[in-house]
Amino acid sequence: MKPQSPTLKILTILSSLLFLAALAMVFLYAPLEETMNYVQKVFYFHIATAWVGMLGFMAAAVAGVVYLVRHDRKWDLLEMAAIEISLVFFLITIILGSIWARPVWNTWWTWDPRLTTAAIVELVYLACLLLRQGIDDPERRARFSAVYTLVGSLSVPIAFLSIRLFRTIHPVVIGTNTASNLGAFNMTPPMLATMFFCLFTFSVVFATLLWHRVRLEQLNVAIEERQMEIL
Amino acid sequence: MKKSLTVPAAAALEKQKQPSRVAGFLKAILAVVWKDLAAELRSRELLSAMLVFALLVILIFNFALELDLPTRRSVTSGVLWVTFAFAGTLGLNRSMAIEKDRGCLDGLLLAPVDRSAIYFGKAISNLVFMLIVEAIVLPAYSLLYNTNLINPGLIGVTILGSIGYVAVGTLLASMAVQTRTRDIMLPILLFPVAIPVLLASVKASEGFLQGLAGAEIMPWVNLLIVYDVIFIAVAFMTFDSVVEE
Amino acid sequence: MLDTAISIKYMLAGYAVVLVLIPAYLASLVLRRRALKRKLQDLDELAKK
Repeated sequence: MKPQSPTLKILTILSSLLFLAALAMVFLYAPLEETMNYVQKVFYFHIATAWVGMLGFMAAAVAGVVYLVRHDRKWDLLEMAAIEISLVFFLITIILGSIWARPVWNTWWTWDPRLTTAAIVELVYLACLLLRQGIDDPERRARFSAVYTLVGSLSVPIAFLSIRLFRTIHPVVIGTNTASNLGAFNMTPPMLATMFFCLFTFSVVFATLLWHRVRLEQLNVAIEERQMEIL
Repeated sequence: MKKSLTVPAAAALEKQKQPSRVAGFLKAILAVVWKDLAAELRSRELLSAMLVFALLVILIFNFALELDLPTRRSVTSGVLWVTFAFAGTLGLNRSMAIEKDRGCLDGLLLAPVDRSAIYFGKAISNLVFMLIVEAIVLPAYSLLYNTNLINPGLIGVTILGSIGYVAVGTLLASMAVQTRTRDIMLPILLFPVAIPVLLASVKASEGFLQGLAGAEIMPWVNLLIVYDVIFIAVAFMTFDSVVEE
Repeated sequence: MLDTAISIKYMLAGYAVVLVLIPAYLASLVLRRRALKRKLQDLDELAKK
């Protein structure tokens, strides 16, 4: 197993520092929002974790397609890593959203397009992990999970659109803002700055985690190969 | 020999081969469909299981939801599609498991035909089974609950929805039967990705049953068509990597 | 406007979730890595024998 490359070490330290800075910015720099008060601060990490989930979702889809074309094992490792990270961060997003929604919408959960779609993504990924667990041959496991990820990554946007045909109450913070979206608010420049800093931070965190997760999977592959040699 | 062919002659030969290849492809599909239907006609195990199961699901819904007149109006399409989805997974799983158990899948794969022909053959026979079940469940439901479900719009939606469901289901079932946990894998894989097709089918069926205006139903029907086209294309392209040995 | 006390409670709950789940994931990465390394070592020893 190769030791950590200096770039990864630097990246790890950088993402920890950025994470602390993002927390500090949320609590010390970002101004209080007028109607929602402190609970609005949940929003910054909610958006940021959702962004990581989306990045993971797209990375997994792309890695899956590339695997199906090239049949190179490293894309399977990347796909697996992206799925797992996306799963964890979407879970955090959903919980944060619930915590925010309880005081603002007066409910933990609504069947709104974004919430429901996030839940569907979680289910698709859980199904994918179960599928992987049920297959011993690594090559077949990679093929099946790539096909399933492809099917999932096409179906999820359609699911989003179809659920959107119902009326949505999720606030649209960026872009058009209508009064009917309860809990929407206008962002002041410091709030925007905080949000973009959080997005940047979590992008770096995503890259770092992805790298670490791929290395973990490489270790797994090494063990598999060693076992094959012995047997 | 080959060198002596001039370019236009080679092109003409290519053209001649083209229709025969398409014909061969269609023939292979038909052969797979025919094999499945003939086997089913003899054993009737798949259809009877699907049918009994579907009727049981409706019976359970009857007790669970107390399908009186006002409730029925709002939940009928939901009950129907849950029934179709459950019966569908039962049939999909069984039809692929039979292939796997008897070693038929390996035999099919050895046949000198395009593998996607096997996919289309299996998908079409699965679709036929599902449509037969639906063709019996719909009148049965109408009879039991004294509501008329025989409505051209509803039948169209049922066909479109079943196509999408079976298109993805056949692909995923052929993966599911190759895993260690194959008995439980298919619903777990299929339901999350079949949500759009089920949602659109429920909504469109409800629209037709309540006699809503076409403008309110069309978005759902369009969604169904889009879903069908996308997933038939995806399955066509990826089936090869699912059965590759 | 939301009551400040309630608002703060929900905010803290939110960040508590972040500060529990992300470290928990990191810990799982570290633990899995350790377990795999041990397994690799065992396999190497087995191979030597």
